[in-house]
Amino acid sequence: MADKNSFPLSREALLKCYRTMRTIREFEERLHIDFSRGDIPGFVHLYAGEEATAAAIMSHLGDGDRIASTHRGHGHCIAKGVDVVSMMKEIYGRKGGSCNGKGGSMHIADLSKGMMGANGILGAGAPLACGAALAAKFRGKGEVAISFVGDGGSNQGTFLESLNLAAVWNLPVIFVVENNGYAEATSRDYGTAVDSFVDRAAGFGLPGVTVDGTDFFGVYEATGEIVKRAREGGGPSLLECKMVRFYGHFEGDAQTYRAPGELDDIRANHDCLKIFSAQVTSAGVITAAELSAIDREVLDLIETAVKQAKAAPMPTLADLTTDVYINY
Amino acid sequence: MSANQSNNAPCVGIIANPVSARDIRRIIANASNLQTSERVNIVLRVLTTLAATGVGRVLMMPDKGGISSMLLRSVKRERNIHFDFPELEFVDMPVTSTVDDTFHAARSMQKAGVSAIVVLGGDGTHRAVVRELIHGTRDGAPAVPIAGLSTGTNNAFPEMREPTVAALAVGLYSTGKLSASKALAPNKVLEITIDGGRRRDIAIVDTVITSDRFIGARALWKTDSLGAAYLTFADPQVIGLSAIGGLLQPVGRTEKGGLAVYLSDDPARCRLRLRAPIAPGMVCDLGIASWEAMPAGKAFPVALAAGAVALDGERELTFDVGEQVCVTLREDAFLTVDVASCMHAAAREGLFRHLSSNN
Repeated sequence: MADKNSFPLSREALLKCYRTMRTIREFEERLHIDFSRGDIPGFVHLYAGEEATAAAIMSHLGDGDRIASTHRGHGHCIAKGVDVVSMMKEIYGRKGGSCNGKGGSMHIADLSKGMMGANGILGAGAPLACGAALAAKFRGKGEVAISFVGDGGSNQGTFLESLNLAAVWNLPVIFVVENNGYAEATSRDYGTAVDSFVDRAAGFGLPGVTVDGTDFFGVYEATGEIVKRAREGGGPSLLECKMVRFYGHFEGDAQTYRAPGELDDIRANHDCLKIFSAQVTSAGVITAAELSAIDREVLDLIETAVKQAKAAPMPTLADLTTDVYINY
Repeated sequence: MSANQSNNAPCVGIIANPVSARDIRRIIANASNLQTSERVNIVLRVLTTLAATGVGRVLMMPDKGGISSMLLRSVKRERNIHFDFPELEFVDMPVTSTVDDTFHAARSMQKAGVSAIVVLGGDGTHRAVVRELIHGTRDGAPAVPIAGLSTGTNNAFPEMREPTVAALAVGLYSTGKLSASKALAPNKVLEITIDGGRRRDIAIVDTVITSDRFIGARALWKTDSLGAAYLTFADPQVIGLSAIGGLLQPVGRTEKGGLAVYLSDDPARCRLRLRAPIAPGMVCDLGIASWEAMPAGKAFPVALAAGAVALDGERELTFDVGEQVCVTLREDAFLTVDVASCMHAAAREGLFRHLSSNN
């Protein structure tokens, strides 16, 4: 057993981050099963395989920091602290869900946690994050905003306009490009003229960094510096996280665009949870038994969430006209 | 037999790393970011220059980072205009977008008998190429020489130089106009063994020991965790971790021996504090406990019980209690094309002079 913890997080923080990642994983694995059974209405896009990025980034944020998510938003929601049971109810389309069951997977939001919403429109989160960052700048409390976008979504005009806006207004906003290699089924190499997202940021005068999104500590360290810079008035920047997704673009995607053996290789060699577990246990900071205990608790939580979601009532016809406008 | 010694048309390899200079030092130190399009421009300049020296074939590493695809578009466009290019072929290999691609390409190029490999990258990319070339060389035969072009972050190893000039030197050597004795220079490496050789690696500039027990964002910029720095050469004019040695006791690139520097912030051990540029734009104060010369062949055991080993500026290996790390300097480990020597020899010997059509 090592004499001390030389990781940049305390033991408690490491365990919390592992719990976050494991919760995302089990949440998505359960949805994969329940969706295929026809239990869930609408579309779901699973974050399984990408957990380290969400957990590492969000571990630097507080409730006052805001994020704008994507169509693949469950991981961002869980890592930002949105209640798992209310998320499950929302995805099942039930009352008591994050949006009372009227939004579904791609509209989960919880402003009390700084989660401005998943978003079914690609690239739409970037201008929203700029708005939140502008508000944060005026409030002057050192809060930041983070926009997540996929490698495909980064080709949207909204994203590029936001890079420009963030640069000219020196906003405390961070653009995270979650590069899992595919825009739906289109390879990044085919669909993006300038292949480096860091180059894209440089085109607008923003610094950018590329990290291995499957390595929790790589994302954690880079985000720490980027968020610190933004909080202190250093302005916007871009973080490209290279990552892998375990499932298709959406549930039901046959993934014919994948190379033979690609998924097996991803699960065997690029599983961010396995990588994290090996790092913390081999260093003697966390024991395998401690991780297993968390695994069991998370499975219980997900089971509870599904049971409560299934037992919750559906929205009524009268609910259709509520929550449409907000009263100030 | 190398391509420049055979009767075949000389062939040069090019390894251009699309992901060098993309790490956290952009954020913490405003380090430069050479855009993909500019890397392609460099390759294009190398290609036209090699063609001008008579190199007819180039073997290039494929990538999915944008260089290959943009290069192919550019070559097609340039051929439509006027430029003369060598025959351009990509190594037939799977692309993983990891350092494995560099290993694979270097191995394939050596096997294909290229006369030299032009490397675009920083210290880390050059280390990867050299590691593979040394590993793949049998029976003490010299590895294929490399010519480095600086496109990375710290760049202690590849010198800052216009790629056209470097390509001229490579062309002179590859076409046999300059012999190996005139064109090439020997270089030192550091061999790192962990746990009695169970794990091995090399560094071409610096090996730094840190108490961080994780790889994280790879770059090193937090000085309080540094334990020791082992250096093949220490130039006071470079930046990066080797600058620590460069400002304490310079050691030349071709000089015998290296330098070991031991760092400590502990007042009981700290002999002096040194201000050094450990990253672009980042000048830090470090506590220095002591330093000593590193003669070739002598193993230096690392004192720290557990931590990480940074090779040429990036954390690469972690080690736990009970895994002894040793660092050994080796001389004459690999060859580089000595651009300055080549160009001076070319001038002396009139290699670029042509007879006037009036004579």
